[in-house]
Amino acid sequence: MSVAHPAEVHAHPEMNFLSKYFFSQDHKVIGIQFLFTSLIFLVVGGGLALLVRVQLAWPHAEIPLLSWMFQDNGGRMPESFYNMLFSMHASVMIFFVIIPVLAGAFGNFTIPLMIGAKDMAFPVLNMLSYWFMWPAFVLILSSFFVEGGGPAAGWTSYPTLSSVAMPAGEGLQSPAAPNSGHGQVLWLLALTFVGISSMLGSVNYITTIINMRAPGMTLYRMPMTIWAMFITAILQAFALPVLTVALILQTLDKTIGTTFFLPDGLTFGNWITGPGGGQTLLWQHLFWFYSHPAVYIMILPSMGMVSDIISTFARRPLFGYRAMIYSIAGIAGLGFIVWGHHMFQSGMDPRLGTGFMIATIMIALPSAIKVFNWLGTIFHGNIQYTAAMLFALGFVALFIIGGLSGIFMAATPVDIFIHDTYFIVAHIHYVLFTSSIFGIFAGIYYWFPKMFARQMNEFWGRVHFGLTFVLANCVFFPMHILGVGGLRRRIPDITASPREAAFMPLNQFITISALVLGAVQIIFVINFFYSLFRGKPAGRNPWNSNTLEWSAPSPPPHGNFETVPIVFRGPYEYVEVEGHGDHLPQTLKLEGPAPTAGH
Amino acid sequence: MGKWWSILFGVTMIACTLLFVVSPFVGWWLPEGVSTHSWSVDLLFYFILGITGFFFILTEALMCIFMYRYCSSEKAGRTVAHAPGFFVRTYNKWTPPAIKGSIAKVLNDPHKIEMAWTVLPAVILLWIAFAQVDAWAVIKYQSRMPRYAEKNQEFTPLQIDVTARQWEWRIRYPSSERFVEWMTRKGDPEILKDFQSFAKIEQKDDVKLVNELHVWNHHPAVLQLSTRDVIHSFNLPHMRVKQDSLPGKQIPVWFTPIKHNTIRLSADGDVWIDGYNPDTKAQDRNQIWDLSCAELCGWGHYRMVGRLYVHESQQDFLDWLKSVEAKMLPPRAK
Repeated sequence: MSVAHPAEVHAHPEMNFLSKYFFSQDHKVIGIQFLFTSLIFLVVGGGLALLVRVQLAWPHAEIPLLSWMFQDNGGRMPESFYNMLFSMHASVMIFFVIIPVLAGAFGNFTIPLMIGAKDMAFPVLNMLSYWFMWPAFVLILSSFFVEGGGPAAGWTSYPTLSSVAMPAGEGLQSPAAPNSGHGQVLWLLALTFVGISSMLGSVNYITTIINMRAPGMTLYRMPMTIWAMFITAILQAFALPVLTVALILQTLDKTIGTTFFLPDGLTFGNWITGPGGGQTLLWQHLFWFYSHPAVYIMILPSMGMVSDIISTFARRPLFGYRAMIYSIAGIAGLGFIVWGHHMFQSGMDPRLGTGFMIATIMIALPSAIKVFNWLGTIFHGNIQYTAAMLFALGFVALFIIGGLSGIFMAATPVDIFIHDTYFIVAHIHYVLFTSSIFGIFAGIYYWFPKMFARQMNEFWGRVHFGLTFVLANCVFFPMHILGVGGLRRRIPDITASPREAAFMPLNQFITISALVLGAVQIIFVINFFYSLFRGKPAGRNPWNSNTLEWSAPSPPPHGNFETVPIVFRGPYEYVEVEGHGDHLPQTLKLEGPAPTAGH
Repeated sequence: MGKWWSILFGVTMIACTLLFVVSPFVGWWLPEGVSTHSWSVDLLFYFILGITGFFFILTEALMCIFMYRYCSSEKAGRTVAHAPGFFVRTYNKWTPPAIKGSIAKVLNDPHKIEMAWTVLPAVILLWIAFAQVDAWAVIKYQSRMPRYAEKNQEFTPLQIDVTARQWEWRIRYPSSERFVEWMTRKGDPEILKDFQSFAKIEQKDDVKLVNELHVWNHHPAVLQLSTRDVIHSFNLPHMRVKQDSLPGKQIPVWFTPIKHNTIRLSADGDVWIDGYNPDTKAQDRNQIWDLSCAELCGWGHYRMVGRLYVHESQQDFLDWLKSVEAKMLPPRAK
């Protein structure tokens, strides 16, 4: 099914500076707004991570730059500050970087362009989805500065550490942790706003993809990026309400004294909480019912973009196009019934653990199929090693590690040992850093010419990739070893246990690698801004790519296409045809019999 | 130039693999497993490590080979047909024609390849999944845990109450008198009642310690786990035991040690020290077994570390229990 646009030319009114760059309803501007704010938060989140690493490597030393804050602690970092750092690192990276970049920036930018639409179905809703991020930005950043400090109960915010509150009338202080007072409330509210933003976006994406495709753009002619965004939006729409409810319940527990997550009579110092009747596990179920699908929300769009980029630069049709779609759908579907694998050791009935384990291990299957298909795509290809392609290939190489390490923790008995160790930290970073963020870098290098009509410097792009690839492995791979050794996560000082203190040399190696990895990103920042103003001008289609966005001018004007594009073929027809070079754009109509685009 | 990227990928992946090979030799590996759980957990760990390691090397190698061979040349022309390489030649020479025929049939049909790489991993993954079920049930299912001995030939597990709070483990043992009754009188409904009431009702003569968990070798211990404030996680890495404690709940945990690490310092004294290695008959840093909290529980989480003492025999444990009782103030009621 594809729906044609009305044929009349849509006139866009003249816009002033404010309505063009700030309160814009143009999906491309909104996408770029998401991109810029998220990249700023990427710097914040990365800085938090580096502070975490510095503390881990030299737990008894003064903290550089920040020691003035800790005069009464001898310049050393207090433990609660460390807990705040990793909690905020994860919260910022997940809710303010990866989800907004993938869904907000790339979703917004690519969806109308790649399906041949003039804009999103609901432009005002789209603008609101960006502006609902701003209360979240303000709330999350202000939580650093409130009494007690930012939230420090982990990004998972398990009650009762996060939720327990003093009796009514004693303010928002928490008896469990100083940071679980005002900071926690701001965190809860910030995430609620992020949720509203994502929900507005996902409704828009689903509607746009179903209703606004160009003539000829059937569902099975959509590029993988669009399929991934489509399925991600569905995941968001179904999972987010559950998180929102959980966030509201915890906010009520903290502010007006409800006891959704508070059991009877807990003891904090001299104070005993009253009757509760709540369940701490309820939060974990609600939280992971969203946050496990959220893991796929953070990886599926990257997978889609990487599929398009690999096919383009291998000059080969994507191997197993339909299998790729079905495996994304499979991952998303299974993703709703595996949340319990975060809770194997939580005190949930262990018989449930058995069921969750089997579902979780089976999710490796669609992931494996995707990897084989990517390998099948580069097989017999004609690979051009652009920066975008390198990040896409890096994604595949390192997603393999993240995928395989997942099997260890899915296996319940093995998980007994590695749960809450650095093995988990290694796994999550192979999936979220070396996969999702690599996908984001690939996407930026790939679509930069379309966004800004200039190309990023390829040489420095490749240097950026090479160093990032090697250093990311130096940072995250040894964490598997730490986990196998049983080093607990979320501890500021590993010398507290003599057994764990033995891992100090490895910890220091990781920290030094992480500092260099952080420094290397400056190459990207400089390249990005330099290319924005001085980069080589890009034509419409610098990569000789097939998909629709490359048939629009660079940058596409408000309304995107000069004429409504008509789609004649699938997105991956990279084949030699007499007189057409090695690729057939989706808008190209060929006379005579269609060429076969075999595998 | 392009080919160098495949070499960079290859070298990095080889370095990662080597780290896994070298680490066990420098002591960065699983801590020694000293409970009956550790055998099954470690076996499953190595089983998964073997399978994932194989597929890791296979996929990364294929990727590097493809990246090397199908790199576009500087002239941006198509790659020319290569002469068959070493592996192809070996394959051609040594594979029986019948097998070669069927493999060729699969390789020449994309749908057959896709079926193959869907069905084969599915079978392997299901195999991995079902291999876990029994070990998990033994360790975690309450129905499978040791319980009060109904008959004469069975034995009663040691029962201990563990209550977590920020940031210590409060550990409560039965009095030596009660303990002896549990161990010797079997099938007695009175004792069964008393045994089951231990975790729910504190007695004045219970022995209470902080951060010191004592059990003895080759005998199951059942710990009744609870918490007074936030979620903690009871973590005995050497025993391959981990269980969150939940506010408002009591969760049983069990294990049977298969090695002891605690000896009496002098023949008639009541000083006991851990860190003893019965294999070498010497003190050993690696024989100090920690009981740590694995779930973030506030700022003191990292130092919520206790110790596990495994005595050699029931008699040693009883002697130790009596020596602690002797040091305790007499209960006011008596």
